[in-house]
Amino acid sequence: MTTHEQIPVTEGLFAETPAGPRLLGSRCATCSTPYFPRSAACHNPVCDESRMEDADFGPRGRLWSCAIQNYPPPLPARYEEPYTPYAVGVVDLDEGLRVVARMSVDDPDSLQLDAEVELTIEPIYQDDEGRDVTTWKFKPLESGGS
Amino acid sequence: MRDVAVLGVGMHPWGKFADRSVTSMCRVATDAALADAGVEWREVEAVAAASSRFSGGKGWGLNGNDVVEEMGSTGIPVYNLSAGCAAGGNAFNIGWTLVASGVHDCVLVVGGEKMPKGFIQTSGLEEDTDPEHLRQLCVGMPGPAFWAALCRRRMQDFGTSEEDLARIAVKAHQIGKHNTNARFRQEFSMEDVLNSNMVSFPLRLYEICPVSDGAAAVVICSADVARKRTSRPVWVASSSVATARFDDGLPRGLGTVVPQAGPTCHSEASLAVGKALESAAVAPTELDLVELQDNTVFYELAFPEDWGLCQPGEAERLVEKGETLPTGKLPINPSGGFLCFGEATTAMGVFQICELTWQLREQAGARQVPGAKIALAQTLGLGGNATAAVLKN
Repeated sequence: MTTHEQIPVTEGLFAETPAGPRLLGSRCATCSTPYFPRSAACHNPVCDESRMEDADFGPRGRLWSCAIQNYPPPLPARYEEPYTPYAVGVVDLDEGLRVVARMSVDDPDSLQLDAEVELTIEPIYQDDEGRDVTTWKFKPLESGGS
Repeated sequence: MRDVAVLGVGMHPWGKFADRSVTSMCRVATDAALADAGVEWREVEAVAAASSRFSGGKGWGLNGNDVVEEMGSTGIPVYNLSAGCAAGGNAFNIGWTLVASGVHDCVLVVGGEKMPKGFIQTSGLEEDTDPEHLRQLCVGMPGPAFWAALCRRRMQDFGTSEEDLARIAVKAHQIGKHNTNARFRQEFSMEDVLNSNMVSFPLRLYEICPVSDGAAAVVICSADVARKRTSRPVWVASSSVATARFDDGLPRGLGTVVPQAGPTCHSEASLAVGKALESAAVAPTELDLVELQDNTVFYELAFPEDWGLCQPGEAERLVEKGETLPTGKLPINPSGGFLCFGEATTAMGVFQICELTWQLREQAGARQVPGAKIALAQTLGLGGNATAAVLKN
C-alpha cells in the first residue's frame, strides 16, 4: 500500500501532537468556557471578562448522538467515489466541550450512544493531486486500534 | 399595547411553479388576504415582509418592496425581515408590533418563496470564518443529519421506534389530503413511509419535509378597524421572537458547551413559545391546536414536550392514540404541516397564521379542530431564530 502525502481539510482546527491527536480551540481563563474552533473573544453572556487562551481538546469523550449520512452530501463536503454512507457524531469531550465529527465506524449498530470514544485523524478523500485529505474523527474505544 | 386582530388571510397554493415569479405568487396571496379582509390595497399603511435568500427581492431580500411595486407604489413604509426560516414569523411579529404600538392601523404581512432543488443548503457563505461552511467542509453534516442526530438521542432516551417516527408522517398526510393548498395530498401507509429511502438514519424521506414554492399573506389591524369590518375577528393574543441561549448544547456549529442540565433542544423555540404563552396568559394545556415547524417528524415529538404541552416521553403515545389529529386532545399541524406542504422557507411563518385563522373561524373543513378557540404557531430559523404567536377567537 502506498503512503500518500496527507493534508488537513482546513488549517488550524486539529493536529497530531506528541501526546496524540487534539482539537485546537480556546478557553476563557475567566469563566473556563471551552471553544472550538478558536475564538478571539468569550461569548458567554455571564462572563465578566473575556480572557482567551489557546487550548487543546481530546482525546476522550462520550458519544452523545450520531446519524448516518445516507446520501452524498452537497459541496463543500467531499467524498470518495463511489459514495459510501458515513456516520457523523456529536461527542461530549471530557473538557466540557460538545463537538460534531465524523465517526471512524460507519455501521450504526457499532455506535452505541454514551459509549466512550477517542479522537483520531483520518483521511476522508483523496484530492486531485493524490493527497489524502484528513479530518478529525472519533472511534469507539471498544473497537480497538485502527 | 393595543389589541390586534387578523382581519384577512390568503395563500398561493404550495407546489413547484417553474413558470411563476415569487412576486406574482405573493400577489395572489395578497389579493386573497385583502379580499378576505374587505380592505383595499390603498388602505394598507405598512408592509412587513419576509426576506428571501433564494428568490426575488432584487437579490437583497427586498421582497416587501417587490410586493409594494407589484400592488401599486403608495409610498408606505416597508420592513424586510430576515431570520432564516423564521422570517415569516418575524415579519408577523413586526407587523403586530406596528399595530399594537399604535403606529399603524392596518398592516400587510407577507412571505413568499421559490426554493432551489434539493435539501436546503444552510449557509450562503463559502469562507472558513463561517461555522456552517466549516461544518460541511470538515464533517459533512447537512440539515437532515443534524435532525437525525437529535432524533437518535431521543430514541436512546425514550425508546422511540422507527414505527413511532413513521406514524407521524402517516398522520400528517391523513389530514393534509384535505387541504387544497397542500402540495402532497395523498395518504401514506406505514409501509409507504417505512419503505421510503433512508435519508439520514434514523430519518426517512417521507419523515423530512421537502422544499416547495409558496406564498401567504395576512392583513392585521387595530381593534377599532376590526370591529367596523367584521363581527368575528380573530385576535392576536401575543406574538414573540427569541434567539438561542448560549448554553443549550444544541450542536449548531462545530463546537459548543456541554449543557449543565436539562434536555437538549432548541432553546430559541422554547423561549419564544414560553414568552408567547406567558404574555397571552395561556397555559400550555389550554391550547386547542398547534402549528409547529415540522421540518422533521422528530420535532413533532420533541417540541410539545419542551413547551409543556405534554410530559417528557409522552409524545409517541399521543400520536399512536390519534391525540394529535384534529379530533384529538392535542391537535398538531392540522394544516398537514411542512410534511404535506414542503418548506417554502420564509413563507412558513405567515402560512401558519393563515391556518390558525381558518381554524379559529371554523373554516377549515375536513381538517377542522372542533370548537378551536386558542391556537399556537411557532417557527424556527438559521442563526438560532424562533418566533411564536397565540391567536384566539
